[in-house]
Amino acid sequence: MNTREHVVAMANQIARNFVVRDRASAAEATARHIREFWDPRMRALILEEARTDAPALSPEAKAAALIAADDRAATAGKP
Amino acid sequence: MAADPEADFGTPARHGAPVRLTIDGRAVTVPEGTSVMRAAALADAAIPKLCATDTLESFGSCRLCLVEIEGARGTPASCTTPVREGMVVATQTERLKKLRRGVMELYISDHPLDCLTCSANNDCELQDQAAAVGLRDVRYGYDGANHLDAPADVSNPYFDFDPAKCIVCSRCVRACDEVQGTFALTIDGRGFASKVSAGMPEDDFLNSECVSCGACVAACPTATLNEKAVAEIGTPQRAVVTTCAYCGVGCSFRAEMRGEEVVRMVPAKDGKANRGHSCVKGRFAYGYAHHGDRITTPMIRASTADPWRPVSWEEAFAYAASELQRIQATYGRQAVGGISSSRCTNEETFLVQKLVRAGFGNNNIDTCARVCHSPTGYGLKATFGTSAGTQDFDSVADADVILVIGANPTDGHPVFASRMKSRLRQGAKLIVIDPRRIDLVRTPHVEAAHHLPLQPGTNVALLTAMAHVIVTEGLADEAFVAARCDMDEYREWAAFVAEPRHSPEVLEAVTRVPAANVRAAARLYATGGNAAIYYGLGVTEHSQGSSTVMAIANLAMATGNIGRPGVGVNPLRGQNNVQGACDMGSFPHELSGYRHIAGAEGRRLFEGDWGVSLDPEPGLRIPNMLDAAVDGVFKGIYIQGEDILQSDPNTKHVLAGLKAMECVIVHDLFLNETANYAHVFFPGSTFLEKDGTFTNAERRIQRVRKVMSPLAGLADWEVTVGLANALGLQWSYGHPSEIMDEIARLTPTFAGVSYALLETEGSLQWPVTEAAPAGTPVMHADHFVRGKGKFVITDYVPTDEKTGPRYPLLLTTGRILSQYNVGAQTRRTRNTVWHEADVLEIHPFDAENRGLASGDWARLASRAGETSLRVLVTDRVAPGVVYTTFHHPETQANVVTTEHSDWATNCPEYKVTAVEVSPSNGPSDWQARYQAAADRARRIEPAEPAE
Amino acid sequence: MRGRGGAGFPAGIKWRTVAEAAGPVKYIVCNADEGDSGTFADRMVMEGDPFALIEGMAIAAFAVGAQKGFIYVRSEYPDAIAKLDVAIRLAAEDIAPFRIELRVGAGAYICGEETSLLNSLEGKRGEVRAKPPLPALQGLFGKPTVVNNVLTLAAVPHILADGAEGYAALGTGRSRGTMPIQLAGNIKHGGLFETAFGLTLGEIVNDIGGGTASGRPVKAVQVGGPLGAYLPPSMFHLPFDYEAFAAADALIGHAGVVVFDDTADMLAQARFSMAFTAAESCGKCTPCRIGAVRGVELIDRIAAGGGRAAGPLERLPQMRNVNARPRSLEEEIGLLTDLCETMKFGSLCALGGFAPYPVMSALCHWPQDFGLAPAVEAAQ
Repeated sequence: MNTREHVVAMANQIARNFVVRDRASAAEATARHIREFWDPRMRALILEEARTDAPALSPEAKAAALIAADDRAATAGKP
Repeated sequence: MAADPEADFGTPARHGAPVRLTIDGRAVTVPEGTSVMRAAALADAAIPKLCATDTLESFGSCRLCLVEIEGARGTPASCTTPVREGMVVATQTERLKKLRRGVMELYISDHPLDCLTCSANNDCELQDQAAAVGLRDVRYGYDGANHLDAPADVSNPYFDFDPAKCIVCSRCVRACDEVQGTFALTIDGRGFASKVSAGMPEDDFLNSECVSCGACVAACPTATLNEKAVAEIGTPQRAVVTTCAYCGVGCSFRAEMRGEEVVRMVPAKDGKANRGHSCVKGRFAYGYAHHGDRITTPMIRASTADPWRPVSWEEAFAYAASELQRIQATYGRQAVGGISSSRCTNEETFLVQKLVRAGFGNNNIDTCARVCHSPTGYGLKATFGTSAGTQDFDSVADADVILVIGANPTDGHPVFASRMKSRLRQGAKLIVIDPRRIDLVRTPHVEAAHHLPLQPGTNVALLTAMAHVIVTEGLADEAFVAARCDMDEYREWAAFVAEPRHSPEVLEAVTRVPAANVRAAARLYATGGNAAIYYGLGVTEHSQGSSTVMAIANLAMATGNIGRPGVGVNPLRGQNNVQGACDMGSFPHELSGYRHIAGAEGRRLFEGDWGVSLDPEPGLRIPNMLDAAVDGVFKGIYIQGEDILQSDPNTKHVLAGLKAMECVIVHDLFLNETANYAHVFFPGSTFLEKDGTFTNAERRIQRVRKVMSPLAGLADWEVTVGLANALGLQWSYGHPSEIMDEIARLTPTFAGVSYALLETEGSLQWPVTEAAPAGTPVMHADHFVRGKGKFVITDYVPTDEKTGPRYPLLLTTGRILSQYNVGAQTRRTRNTVWHEADVLEIHPFDAENRGLASGDWARLASRAGETSLRVLVTDRVAPGVVYTTFHHPETQANVVTTEHSDWATNCPEYKVTAVEVSPSNGPSDWQARYQAAADRARRIEPAEPAE
Repeated sequence: MRGRGGAGFPAGIKWRTVAEAAGPVKYIVCNADEGDSGTFADRMVMEGDPFALIEGMAIAAFAVGAQKGFIYVRSEYPDAIAKLDVAIRLAAEDIAPFRIELRVGAGAYICGEETSLLNSLEGKRGEVRAKPPLPALQGLFGKPTVVNNVLTLAAVPHILADGAEGYAALGTGRSRGTMPIQLAGNIKHGGLFETAFGLTLGEIVNDIGGGTASGRPVKAVQVGGPLGAYLPPSMFHLPFDYEAFAAADALIGHAGVVVFDDTADMLAQARFSMAFTAAESCGKCTPCRIGAVRGVELIDRIAAGGGRAAGPLERLPQMRNVNARPRSLEEEIGLLTDLCETMKFGSLCALGGFAPYPVMSALCHWPQDFGLAPAVEAAQ
C-alpha cells in the first residue's frame, strides 16, 4: 500500500470514528486530527484525493480534508 | 549511619499506634502489631533467627529466636509474639543461650560440614547463627539419622536445589506462596522425613509449576537453593544497583560483580517497583550480554546483497553521515528519519529525537510505542490530560475491585502480577475481560469473580454495555463527576450509553458475553469499593484502541475511581523504557513532555537551547515512513534498538519499505531481522554497559548504572553523539547526567529531576516540579491535569478485519513469561529451555474439525500472508479464536498480521486477524526463503590479516 | 468448665473472645480426633449420645454467633463416624440455621492439636500454626473460631439444663465439675468412670480400677496420654486436679489413665515416648523434628550400656575442633536432659513440648532402669 491509499483509508476510518459521536462535527474533528498528527505530505495527498471527481473518501472525510487545508495557513502561528 | 537497604528485621513492618516496650533494658517504640523480633532488630538488639525474614510473614519453626518476657511463662518465639505496651523482654539470659545452642546442635547434627568449599561460604545464615550462639560441641555425634545422601536437583537452568543442606525452614515454600503467588513448592512428608518438594515427589523444579522467579533462592538462608553462577564463578565482591531492561515493571536489582563479571542479579529490597521480587528474565536471563552473537565492531556495506565489512567507529560515522546528507540533498529534508528505542535510556532516546529535530531538521521520529501503547498516549491525554497511568504499583494494595482488561500480567508483568495476586488473596475481587482464559482467571487461591471472554475486537462494545448498566442502574458517582469533570459532556455521554441499543442484552450478539455476566461485573466495578483498572495491549492493539482507552477513562471517572490510592487507570506499559521514550518526545507530533510541535512556546524553548530552528509540522509515524519509502520519497533511517521487521505488522509491507530505502542504519546488540536490509550497523550496548535512566509504567525514573565496559567500546548515547558530530552538530556531553540536566531544562514535568536527586531519593515519579519536588505517586488527586476530566463518547465501530468462509477464525497474540517480545535477548539465554518455539493455541472443536492434534504443523493464513507453526490444542481459547506468541523470528507471525490499525494513532491491530488454520507438513516456502535470505544478509567479511 | 481436651482453658472465656470478635463469619469446631493412647471417652460419647455433642455445638454457635460447625473425627472411629452422620441429619432441623459438617481425619496424631486440625480442615498439610494469633480470633479460614473437645461441648447442655451452680459445686480447687476418666492398660476394672475432680490417683487406680489386671504390683501410671508423666505409687496421694498435677510435673490431659505393672521397663517406655513423637511430629519445628529422632538414638545408646565412643567422622584428622573423646553414661543422660529442656521450652506445640514429661519422669523416678544407681536423681 502506498501513502495515497493509506491516507485515504486512514481518513475514512478517523471520520467514521468521529461520525458515531456527532455527524455534524465529525468533519471538524477529523480535520483537527489531521492537522494535529499528519505530516504535510500526507495532508497534501488527502487534499489531492478530496479534489478529484470521485474521491475514495466518505463525505465527512472529504469535508475534513478540505477544512484541514483551509485552516493550515490560519493555524501556522498558533501558540 | 546510613541504613542498610538490605537489612533484614525478621518480620514485616506493621503500621499502627505506637507501642512502648523494653528490650534488654532499652526502651523501644514501634507500631502496634510489630513482632518483638522486629522491635529488637530496630533497637540494635537483633535476636538470632533462621526461619524468619522480613519479606515473609512469621512462621515460628526454627525456635532460635526465643525470648523471656516478664510475667509470661516459658520462652515464646519473638517472631510470632506481637509487642504489648509495657512489655519487658530479655533476649540474652543464660537459659536462652543454652536453648539456642541446643537448637543449633540439633541442626548441625544433620548438616554437611564442609563449609569451606560450599558456594554459600560467608553468605550462609546457618553459619552466622552457629557462630552467634558459640557452638563448639555437637554432642550427638554425626552417626545419627540424616539427610546427607539426598540427591541434588540441578534441572533448573539457573539454580540448584541441594536438599542435603536444607534446614526445612520453609522460607522457600513461603516465598513461593506469599511473594510470588505460584504455590509451586511444598513440604513433602512429615516429621524427620520432611523435605522441600516442587510438587509431587517425582517432580523436579524444571517440570514443576515453578516459574523460576528466584524468590526461593533469595529467601533460602543456606546453600540449598543457590544460583549456579555463584558456584561456578564465586562469591560476589561488590554490588551496583541498577534497573532491569526487560519489561515496564522496572525492577531494581543489585548487580553483584566480581570485577566486570556479573555473578548474579539480586532483586533490591528497597526497589519501589518490585520491593525485593523479580522474575526469571531480570533475575537470570542477562547472559545475552555475553552471547557469541554480540557484534562488537561497526559494519557498513554499500548494498544489502554484500557481506558486512567491519570498520572503525570513525569510518562508520562518516559513512552514515555522508549517506544521510546525500539523501537529503537529493530527495529533500523530509526524506530521512529515525526510530528511537523503548529499551534504551531516557538520555539516549532524547538524543535520538534531538538528532532528528536538530540534525535532520524534521520531525520524522517515532518509537515502538507506536505499536503498543500509543493509544494510551492519545486516550489518556484526551480524557485526563496526561499520557500516562495514574497510580503507582503500591496502589494495588488498596484496591477492593481489580478489573484486568486485555492484559496477562502473570506473563507480561510478573512481578506486578504477584503483588496483584497478593491483594486478591486478601479478598479483593477480580474481573477479567479477555478472549482467553488467562492464568489470573483461576490460579492458586485466586479466582476471578467474573471472566468475560469477549470476541476479539469488541472491547468498546463491552465497555459501553458496562457503562450502560452503571448509568441506567444509578450506580454512577455524580458528585465526583460534578466536582471534577465537565457535567455537560458527562450528560451527553450518559445519554449515549443509556440508549437501549447499548444494553448488555443487545450487545451480547456482538461481544458474545452473556448479559447477566456483564451486568454483574459492571455492578461490582461500580459499587465494590476502590476499583482499579489495569489494561494492556489487548486494549490498545486494535482498530479502536484509542477509543477503548477513552472508554476505560470514562468508566473510571463516572464511578469516581480516580485520584487516590487503590483506584485509577493503569496501562501496563510493556517495555522497560517505553514510558520514557514517549516522555522524551519520540512521537512525530510532540516534543518531550507531550507538547505539540505546533506550539510556539515549546519550540522557542528548544530552539533557544539548541541554537537551531525547528520544523513546526508533525512528522511521519513508522507505518507512514514505510508508505513514504514505498512511494520513493523516504530514503534514509536511523533505527536504534528496535527490530521493525520482526515486530511490526504486515511483514511484506515492512520489507518493501526497507528495500526501497538507500541508507538503513541499524543500531542494535545483534544482527536482527531489520539488519538484513541495513547498510550501516552500529553495535549497541546493554543496560550493564552504560549509565542512564529508565522510566517504568509508574512514571518512575530509576537509575541504570554501568557495571562493565561496553563491549563495542561506546555506550549507545556516545554512538548517537558520534553520528551527530559527524553531521556537524558539535555535541559534547561528558556524562549522561548532563543530558538529563538538558532534559530537565527543557521539560517542565522533569524540571526537578537530576542525578543528584535520584541518588538521594532512589527514584522519582514525574511530574517532578516545584509543586512536587519529590515526585508524584498518584495523579489527578485534586484536579485533572487538563483541568476537568473529559467524557469522550466512544461508539463501537467494528473492525474492517472480518471473518468469512475463507478466514473463519480470529487470531490474537500475546507473550509468555520466559521470553520477551521478539526474543532478541531471551532467545540468547538459557530461557530457551522453556519456550523453544511459538505455538498456535487452538480450541478442541476447531482442531477436531481440521484434523489437528497438539504438536502437528499447521498452516496459518490470512489475507496478508501465511506461515506455519506447531499447534497446541487447549480450551483456554474460545471456539473461533486462535492465539500465538511472537518470540521467534522463524515463526514469522507478522506475515499474517494486517495493515489495519487504531484510527487515532495507527497502533497496529495485532489482536484481530481473520485467519484459517489447516494441517501442513512443515515450515512454509516463505519461511524457508526468508531464512535463506537472512543467512545471506548476515555474512560478515573476515577481518584483514595484520600487516 | 475448663476445656477437657487437655489444655484446661476456661471454655467460657474462649467463647466470649469469639463472641466479641469482629466479623460476620464464625465457626464452631469440635476436636474429635482423640488420638491419645488409652483414651476413649470422646468415642463413647459420640457413639452413645451424639445428640449431646450436637446440642452443645448448637448452643456454642448461638452464644458466639457462628453459622457453621465442623466435627473433625479421627478416621480410626468408623462407628462414631456412622453414628454422627445419622445424628447430624436427624438433628438438622432442630439446630437450623446452624449447620454441622462431619469431617474425617487421616491418621495423624498431630491433627488433634487445634491449629493442625484447622489446617487439615482447610485442606492443607496438618502443620501446626504459631500462636498468636489465637484461633478464637483467627481460626478456620482466618475467622474467629471456637475449638473445643467433645467432652467440653457434650457437657454444655447438662450444665445449662441442670444449672451451673450444681456443676461448679462438684470438684476441687479450680478444677470444677466432672471428668470422664478413662481407665486402661494393665488394670483390673478398665473403662469409663465419670466423677468429680478431687479423687486421689490412688483411689482411682486401686479403689475404682482395682489395681493391675495381672495382679502384680503397680509400677507406674501414665496420666494424660503418651506424652503424660509416669507417676510411681509414691505419688498416689495426688488429687485429680489440674493444678495439683501440674505442680508435680504431671498433666491431666484428656484424663486417660494407663497402668503398668512391675514388668514394665521404664527406659523402653521413655524410648517409646520419643519414638512416638518422632513418628507423629509434623516436622515444622527443629526441637521436635530433629530432637525426637536424636532422643530415640540417645536412649538406644543408653539402653546398650551407655556412653558413646567417638564416631568415624569425629576421628578424622580434618575434624580439628571436634571433641573426640568418648562420652560417659552420665554425660549421655545429661545430654538427654538438655534435649528434653530444649524440646520442652523450644517446641512449637505440645507434641514436642510435652515429650519430655514421660522421659524425664521415667528418668527421675526409675533411674535404675537407665543404668543409674537408684539413689541418683537426674538433674531436672
